Amino acid sequence: MSVAVVGSGLAGFTAYQALRRGGLAPEEIAVFGTEDDPAGTFRRRAAAIRQRRMRSESDGHCLPATFPGLAARSALGRRSPAPLVASALDRYHPTLEEFLSHVERVRERSGWERSLHSGRIERVRAVDGGFELDGNGPFPHVLLAPGQPGLNVPEELRADPRVVHAYEQHEYARTVTVIGAGLAAATEWLNALEAGAEVVSVRRREPIRRTLNVPREYFSRRGLAEFHRLGADERAARLRTLLAPSYPRGAAWDEPLRRAAAEGRFRVESSLNGCEQVICATGFLCGFRHDAPLARLVDDHGLETVDTWIVVAADGTVPALTDATRTLALAGAPAQWAFPAADTLAGARYVGHGFLRRIKACRTR
Amino acid sequence: MSYTLRGRIESRLAALLPVVAVACVLMAVMHRWWPVQAAGLMLAAGLALDVLVYDRVLRYQPAWASLPLGALELGILLGLMRVLGAMAPLWAALGLFAGGWLLAQLLGQAGFPLLRLGYAEEGGELGRVGLVAALAVAVALTGAGATAYAGRAPVVYLAAGVHQGPLVITRQEILVGDPGAIVRGGIVVRANDVTIRGVTVVGGDNGITVEGVRGTVLDGVSVSGAKLDGIEVQGAGIMIKDCTVDMHGNSLGKGIEISYNMGMGMSMVEGCTVVGGMEGITTHSSMTDIVHDRVSGTEMRGISVTEMSMGTVMDSEVSNALGIGIYCNDRSMCMIEHNTVVGTRPDVASGNPTRRGFAVLASFQSEADLRDNQLDSNPVPMGAVINSRIAATH
Repeated sequence: MSVAVVGSGLAGFTAYQALRRGGLAPEEIAVFGTEDDPAGTFRRRAAAIRQRRMRSESDGHCLPATFPGLAARSALGRRSPAPLVASALDRYHPTLEEFLSHVERVRERSGWERSLHSGRIERVRAVDGGFELDGNGPFPHVLLAPGQPGLNVPEELRADPRVVHAYEQHEYARTVTVIGAGLAAATEWLNALEAGAEVVSVRRREPIRRTLNVPREYFSRRGLAEFHRLGADERAARLRTLLAPSYPRGAAWDEPLRRAAAEGRFRVESSLNGCEQVICATGFLCGFRHDAPLARLVDDHGLETVDTWIVVAADGTVPALTDATRTLALAGAPAQWAFPAADTLAGARYVGHGFLRRIKACRTR
Repeated sequence: MSYTLRGRIESRLAALLPVVAVACVLMAVMHRWWPVQAAGLMLAAGLALDVLVYDRVLRYQPAWASLPLGALELGILLGLMRVLGAMAPLWAALGLFAGGWLLAQLLGQAGFPLLRLGYAEEGGELGRVGLVAALAVAVALTGAGATAYAGRAPVVYLAAGVHQGPLVITRQEILVGDPGAIVRGGIVVRANDVTIRGVTVVGGDNGITVEGVRGTVLDGVSVSGAKLDGIEVQGAGIMIKDCTVDMHGNSLGKGIEISYNMGMGMSMVEGCTVVGGMEGITTHSSMTDIVHDRVSGTEMRGISVTEMSMGTVMDSEVSNALGIGIYCNDRSMCMIEHNTVVGTRPDVASGNPTRRGFAVLASFQSEADLRDNQLDSNPVPMGAVINSRIAATH
């Protein structure tokens, strides 16, 4: 086998689909991961925050081409043009069920199981002929899609028995404080209000309101070209700005909050109070240092880093470990240095395309 | 989608390639230049908008924006075609544009993303395909342009002074009269695609005769002293614009007569001034639009649409006609809009009640739809006789 994907989550799965579309057989690809369901982790987290719709749009799927998107599939399934019209108006967001059944369908027909090797890779080492993965290999071309390194709970709250992370299964107490200002936080405000709780939002900054995780031009070369030209410090600063918590605009979000505020059931405060439950909608641990295999990779090979990011090329490959004969690429959040929305499905597709291009251009393949 | 400038241009060129191909085929089949002209103008307008407007204004372009942007581009295309005098049938030009627009949407939303996996994230750039498309469009348009240029009609200049006619034109050409160029004895057109521009014709049986040919354009011609009709068109497709026809002293002749050309598509008389004669402008079994014309002092009727003709009389002025101003007759269908008919004189001597000074008269199983005409200063504003129907709205 010449190609390995480390990580069996959605990022690895999406990159895998690009490789399959590029002509690689399942037997040519080794996927290392702990779960055979690529949507397993996502499914649990979405269930925890009771997410019903995707933030992504029609192209938020795992296939390598944006067309046909989920809107077209939904239109066919429902025999109605409504999803297509909504998509043209940027108003289409697939339901969680639509997305998960899409993942299931793609998984069944892509040969995913034939490529899957159960187990977690702890160390990636560059060797002659490619990369060794915990003694497996060597593989000339490796994509690391390790997923999020863990849930982020502010240090001062870790010992507090009232605390639960938004992405952990939980119910709602009568008085709830939600920490954070992103999509998970906004979802939790509405969930807790719907459950009859009194909700306090604690946040360091006012949330940004936008449809997608980052401004739309950063999903294409239009915004990326300028982003890639930035110096290291400017790029890190830009990333911090782009990745600030945000959630979509719209009455579906604002109306329940307005009503609850009028009833005295929702307010914003600057610090914790005496509530019964604290929900940390504070996302994930950020940076390669929180991911042991990535941290080892950086230390073993002296890879260039800036702040919490590993420096990667525009296509998500690690420059020091990529040449005409081998490729090491990152996918998911670790690839944000190349693609700010790398932790989205579009980001995984972007990295998958770049990885495939490298493999196709490889002289020794 | 967030296009890069290169992505916009490459996507546009690749999507336009089939349109250019269709335009070239149409040009070859129809021997008409307008399809390639229209495709070229679509390309030029689109590229100009891409570079000057879209790239600067639209950092992100939602799919729905294709509709208003398409309408904008269509408006600009039609405006350019009008300014440049491209002689395209309106519906055919609209069809070409609509087909091209629809194809561009299908390719942009489905075709290109399937063809090139990174299409969206690369801002619409198509790599080598884009380059090939650009080259192909350039080659096709240049080739078609060169072909059209090589096959264009020769221009013949008629020097100032009097030229003894009749002048018989038997090949495709553009006859341009220098100021003061006069043909005495009439002109006869016997070839397709002849344009006569700025020529004064004096005398002749007919001032200008066009018979059994296509694509004739009379532009800025001046006719006087004809023994029969000023401009006589039979079985021929024609566009007459900005002409003057003086029929004084010829009470039996017609200023402009267009007849029996139903199979030749729409003809047009636009911006002409006709004075005197039996009828100013008349059509028989013809589809002709009569627009922005002025007819005065006729002895039988001002404008006559007759013998199963279909046509529009619009924005024209008919004054001082004897008997009838505008006549829709003999199973014809007439749209009569925004005209002014004044001073129609009753033809008392004829004793014919249908000639008692009608501004508009529909006769013998004809249908006339009138809209916003000024008909008041006439003995009878309008009427319908012999199973005809006249419908007027304001």
